[in-house]
Amino acid sequence: MLGMVGRAAEGFYQVCRGLWTVFKHSGRPPTTKEFPDVMPELPGAFRGRLALAVNPETGEHLCISCRQCERVCPDKCIDITAHKSPQTGKLELIDFKIDHGLCMFCGLCTEVCPTSCIINTSDFEMSEYSRGALIYDLKRLTLSQEESAYYFAKKDLPPPKPKAKPAPKPEAAGDAGESLAQQPSDVSQQPGPKAEE
Amino acid sequence: MNSAVFEIGKFARLTLLWLCIIFGAVWGVSWSIGVLLPAVILSQSGESGRFWAQLLQALVPVVAVALFVPLNTCYMVLAERRLLALFTVRKGPNRVGPDGAFQTVADALKLLLKEEITPRGADLLMYTLAPVIFFAPSIIGVMPLLAAVSGNHPLFTPVNLPTGVFYILAVSSIPVVGVVMGGWASNNKYSLVGALRSAAQAISYEIPLLLSIITVCLLAGTLDFVQIADNQRGSLLNWNILGGGALTHLGIGSPWWSIAAALLLAACCILLFALYVICACAEVNRTPFDLPEAESELVSGFNTEYSGIKFAIFFLAEYTNLFIVSTFAAVMFLGGGHAPFPGLEDACISGLRGLLAAWFGACTPFQLGWLVNSLVNPATVSQVFWIIVKSYALVWFASLIRATLPRLRIDQLMDYSWKRLVPLALILLIAVTFLKELV
Amino acid sequence: MVPEMTEELRANKLKTDEMLINMGPQHPATHGVLRLILKLDGELVKHCEPVVGHLHRAQEWQGQNRTWFQYQALIDRVDYLSGMFTSWALARAAEKIDDVKVPLRAEYMRVIVAEMNRLTSHLLWLGTFGIDLGAMMGLPFYPFREREELLDLLEAIAGQRMMFNYIRIGGVQNEAPPGWFARLFKFTGSFPDRIDEYEAILSNNPIFLKRTKAVGILPRKLAIDYGVTGPTLRASGVALDLRKVKPYSVYDRLDFAVPVCNRDGDTYDRYMCRIIEMHESNKIIRQCIEQIPGGTADVLREKRKACSACGKANCPHCGGDLAIMVKKQNAGLRVKAGEGFAAVESPRGVLGCYIISTGSDTAYRIKWRNPSFSNLAVLPELLLDHQIADIMAIFGSIDVILPDVDR
Repeated sequence: MLGMVGRAAEGFYQVCRGLWTVFKHSGRPPTTKEFPDVMPELPGAFRGRLALAVNPETGEHLCISCRQCERVCPDKCIDITAHKSPQTGKLELIDFKIDHGLCMFCGLCTEVCPTSCIINTSDFEMSEYSRGALIYDLKRLTLSQEESAYYFAKKDLPPPKPKAKPAPKPEAAGDAGESLAQQPSDVSQQPGPKAEE
Repeated sequence: MNSAVFEIGKFARLTLLWLCIIFGAVWGVSWSIGVLLPAVILSQSGESGRFWAQLLQALVPVVAVALFVPLNTCYMVLAERRLLALFTVRKGPNRVGPDGAFQTVADALKLLLKEEITPRGADLLMYTLAPVIFFAPSIIGVMPLLAAVSGNHPLFTPVNLPTGVFYILAVSSIPVVGVVMGGWASNNKYSLVGALRSAAQAISYEIPLLLSIITVCLLAGTLDFVQIADNQRGSLLNWNILGGGALTHLGIGSPWWSIAAALLLAACCILLFALYVICACAEVNRTPFDLPEAESELVSGFNTEYSGIKFAIFFLAEYTNLFIVSTFAAVMFLGGGHAPFPGLEDACISGLRGLLAAWFGACTPFQLGWLVNSLVNPATVSQVFWIIVKSYALVWFASLIRATLPRLRIDQLMDYSWKRLVPLALILLIAVTFLKELV
Repeated sequence: MVPEMTEELRANKLKTDEMLINMGPQHPATHGVLRLILKLDGELVKHCEPVVGHLHRAQEWQGQNRTWFQYQALIDRVDYLSGMFTSWALARAAEKIDDVKVPLRAEYMRVIVAEMNRLTSHLLWLGTFGIDLGAMMGLPFYPFREREELLDLLEAIAGQRMMFNYIRIGGVQNEAPPGWFARLFKFTGSFPDRIDEYEAILSNNPIFLKRTKAVGILPRKLAIDYGVTGPTLRASGVALDLRKVKPYSVYDRLDFAVPVCNRDGDTYDRYMCRIIEMHESNKIIRQCIEQIPGGTADVLREKRKACSACGKANCPHCGGDLAIMVKKQNAGLRVKAGEGFAAVESPRGVLGCYIISTGSDTAYRIKWRNPSFSNLAVLPELLLDHQIADIMAIFGSIDVILPDVDR
């Protein structure tokens, strides 16, 4: 009888201890992250939506159409269209498609990219109304210069070297002449893209 | 720390807002139907309008309950969610309306608009009737409490039964029929198991619940809510939870056995209150006795197959029942509408009276003054305030329990009731009867 | 424990019938997509048959059709609550074939992230165990709060919260970001108090004790016969923890205890084992942070900045023990021809990986030995003659992850 009373008292005490522990928590700051209002602070390593970076300084596209990402992708969600430029004989990027509906965000493509062109951004809000809309083309994938600079700094990536361009042929240089004229010395110093391949 | 205090403040603000809405609306409508409209009718049509005036007055409790139940459920669900959020270091619903105040209204609307699904093979009549049978007792059960809550206000005197306690106890055993009906008619095995559990549980826990209430009635010497509440007037020491005034009768010269008996009586009554809280939790299917629902075992128990408005009715009834048992406890054990300290009640009343006089007293003509007086009666307001505080404190405590305790198993539940609670209740019944005479 | 009502009822010629209930795969408490076919006599379970395979994704077959580099990224998905361990088992098996010596710093990093992952897994288990027992609203949120902190840390180092792809063949993926070690160390300081709080709510609660003590007793012999491993086995009194029995990585340099219950374990013992394991994992992480060669990432980074010889062969701050990877991985990662088996102690038990490699960039055959599968196999035995409510308590206590069962 006394034992039963003792057990009951002990049980009552333990229940009260539990209740008190729970009650204590009402005095602690909430851990809720009010997501759409307050965006989470994501680390640099975060593997979000894939994007193609441009050179943060010059704004030229970093992709060299080497197709390494296409080959390494476990889901085969990357589709690169490139052709050999008739003028220079070098690879030229025509389109770059990533089906984010297939992508599993493993980040392997970013690891193999020789120019740090394809990167995982911190963007994760990409819901769409159709599957087709999840297929991003070159235009949607390419980041602006500022965004590229932001991600290069955030991910602590080595700054890309300016891509070497062949000397413009006089007839093709009509509109691009100015931008190319700024770095004639670079062109001569850098090895051609062949060396990278 | 700061943000935690902020959250608590938000909860308090929300509670205040909702209590104003609930009681303002209920009392406003009751007053317009019961006082204003009859006065207008009588002044317009004289004797011939007397019948209509009386009919309107008789309708007041029904209208009040019909308004109170859904509004109160809206608040209670919201309060529970916010409280659980507080206890679990979250924020809770805070999107709909200011600070999420109208979250439950939106939820209720959603439930009402949802498609009702009747499972194949269900017994349609029983399936439809079950929520009604589950819900009806809670509406009927609130009525006698109205009188107790409002301090026997003239408008609610008709629903104050001399045997109100028994009436509520009788009514509160009906919902289990609805549960069994719903569980059986759903043609779902989980529902069936939930329903059977519920039947067993309701029968087992009704007995200690009843015994604890009877003991309080013995202590108070009456079955009338208003009487029981009035007996506890004065101070904390007069409350039934501390022996119903046994401690106040003691003087310097009391014999030792009287003092001992009074102290023992107080201890017994505290135990009695604990017993009541446990059994009430089981009666309204709250954690740790939520076996009929038992989400992790039976999906959702007896209401697995219910959707839309039928589910809403189950939900409504559940929370109304929780409010009923809380108010019941507030009246039976915690002094009803009386303040815990001697001077507090008078201070409340006189303060309110002063405020009213300052606002309306000077400038209003006589007749308007009467109307205002009947609208805001300081004594009633103080009563209602204290009983609301007590009832909702118990509701909040139920949320705390829900946040902490795991669920019992069905055989342990039965063991606990028949081997622990029923004997304890009987012992307490006998002890209180004797001790009361000794004091 | 369980009222023997059926015999009396039969004696009285009251006809009762067994009820067939199909629990799952959409039941809220089956932790995913387990289907249990139950024969119930009232509330008593008379027969139970788990049906697995709803989540079968051919993980082994995929390993034979993906390159090593690709498969590493996939393998986290086998047991999504402890992705580090599956990666680790794969990496160890491949390293065994390759005969690679993993740098010491990488080994420490592996132990740190793996123990963190063990903590997250156990914390999630604790929360869901509370839900299984009916503590629906309060308790589950507290472990999740701590788990969130750990997941944030893992996200910072590996890039994602659960699909880490961090432990690689030959090391780990990258160095910790700035401030990471300090955050982790701070967390480990406050974590034991948090565990005490969970214990204040559950461990001595009379209802909890009633629900777990003497429920689902798993005798030592039965556990061994079924090949049960992990805390479930240790709660039944078998001191089998690969970290102690066959110390791999740097576990032999660390001081930690393995909780073993010295009787036939019930649900409560399994609960206690995991709670104590959380304390021990916390201790391991602290020791690792103190012992890790080269110091924390921040210290090392400073040293490397000041060092002039970095990148050269004789640099004291890079390469050797202080590297995190044997050599930088690329898509053409190959494993030498041969076969090898390696096992790690995952939160659920012994997780083994058997590889046959022909020296190409894909495996010839990969076989996984998943702890959840063998632990689940013992469930029908445990459930016999228990009540419906106990199904959840027992199933929760053996801590099964369905993707791990079905692969």
